Amino acid sequence: MHWSRSSVPRTPKALCLILSLAALPAAGDIAFVTNQNGEELSVLDLSAGTEINRIPLPGQPAGIAVHGTHIFTVSPEAKTVRRFDRATMTEQARVTLDGGPTGIAYDPTRDRLFISDWFNTRLWALDGATLTVQAELATGVSPSGIAVSDDGRWIASADRDSDQVSIFDAETLDLHKVVPVGVRPYGLRFDDQHRLFVGNVGTNDVSVIIPDTGEIIATVPVGDRPYGVAFAKGRAFVTNQYENTITVIDLTTLEPIKTIEGGEYPEGIDATEDETTIVVANWFENTVTLIDAETLEITGDIETGDGPRAFGVFILGED
Amino acid sequence: MKRFSILMAVLGFLLPAMAMAHGPTRQKVTLTTEVAAEPAEVWAAIGNFQDMSWHPAVAATNGEGGNELDATRVLSLGAADGPTIAEVLYKFSDEKMSYSYRITDVAVEVLPVTNYSSHLTVKPRDGGGSIVEWRGAFYRGYPNNDPPPELSDEAAINAVTGVYQQGLDALVEKFGAPNS
Repeated sequence: MHWSRSSVPRTPKALCLILSLAALPAAGDIAFVTNQNGEELSVLDLSAGTEINRIPLPGQPAGIAVHGTHIFTVSPEAKTVRRFDRATMTEQARVTLDGGPTGIAYDPTRDRLFISDWFNTRLWALDGATLTVQAELATGVSPSGIAVSDDGRWIASADRDSDQVSIFDAETLDLHKVVPVGVRPYGLRFDDQHRLFVGNVGTNDVSVIIPDTGEIIATVPVGDRPYGVAFAKGRAFVTNQYENTITVIDLTTLEPIKTIEGGEYPEGIDATEDETTIVVANWFENTVTLIDAETLEITGDIETGDGPRAFGVFILGED
Repeated sequence: MKRFSILMAVLGFLLPAMAMAHGPTRQKVTLTTEVAAEPAEVWAAIGNFQDMSWHPAVAATNGEGGNELDATRVLSLGAADGPTIAEVLYKFSDEKMSYSYRITDVAVEVLPVTNYSSHLTVKPRDGGGSIVEWRGAFYRGYPNNDPPPELSDEAAINAVTGVYQQGLDALVEKFGAPNS
């Protein structure tokens, strides 16, 4: 006897209301969350604690990068990269790439967008305005997360199946260093001292790298299956996907100082512009969790669409 | 059609090739339905972890610990001496009308999943009545690459979708569909 399957499935009506409040003025920081299962983009007002807009976004969207008026998204299933305008949330440009577009990061200094190709050991460099391909950068196997340093010097990709990070000169796009890290690096980001933090999902730790020299200055133990990293108030925050926790690392000592119990299957993570709040997308729970970056207490949850991932930089400050 | 679209939505949700490169990836199924009864009435019927009798496939529920955290239950399927699924409660809220549980023991022949967690909730519906949402996350029954068809991602998704659909259908049967 199996769990018997229903022979005549009744139609469950979709409950997702498409709110159309795009005309509202932005108040404070806004989070743009890719809902991979629901194939939508949730727009969350973090001050009000509410979802203020939700727009269709086909192709199982996961990757996201936001800057200024630009919202860039990656839909790996449809192999499509899109740019939306923040004010109107209308699509401005779109490109379909031949491969497995996955991670995404934006270089505002040169108006370039970087996309990792999971299948073909490369990054694409796209023109931020037209989304046309300008260059291809050779990486290791299965490049996933990408990051751009705040000083505009470096582009880094986590080459998951080569257990390495590739660091490129952001101006010339030349390969600068290849740094072996832990097992299966996936998400990564630079802190405000331009040090690169890389989450290794196979060894449950974070490698901290000085990009100039390629030296690993610390390997910090975190929880089970680190997915993303963000920074605020002199601390790094790492989502542990299999453990439903967030590890907090002191940026001075590079030691873990606390483990926060979060929502289920925490993935994308980012900080508000004023660094007061860390926001974590919970893939299983269909929420984001807000964490006070000073007290390290959870201050609230906001509902999203189905399967929020928000893999990348997804919060913008006030207009 | 809706069921088909739900299946399609869950089939390809992870990043490409991760399943190929590194064994199974975590799958997710979310199903919802709408019923005419108000949330409190629906929650009274389904909001007891120790009583799964509202689901047509469950013949008996035997457990310990009520609705406290770490409460356990064993579901007997089809008949009181039928195959079983053992589960543990890890979240419960009367206020939010929701609970979350994990399967601690099930044969893959009964439900072809591993590392399964699930969440059941009742919400108010605009215009009256309730929305019941049931979602689960799990790995397929086969832990390595190249699963046999009966232990594939698709088999796991189909099985969980079938369980949820049957339960939600029973609630529509019991409480009726909303008029508008």
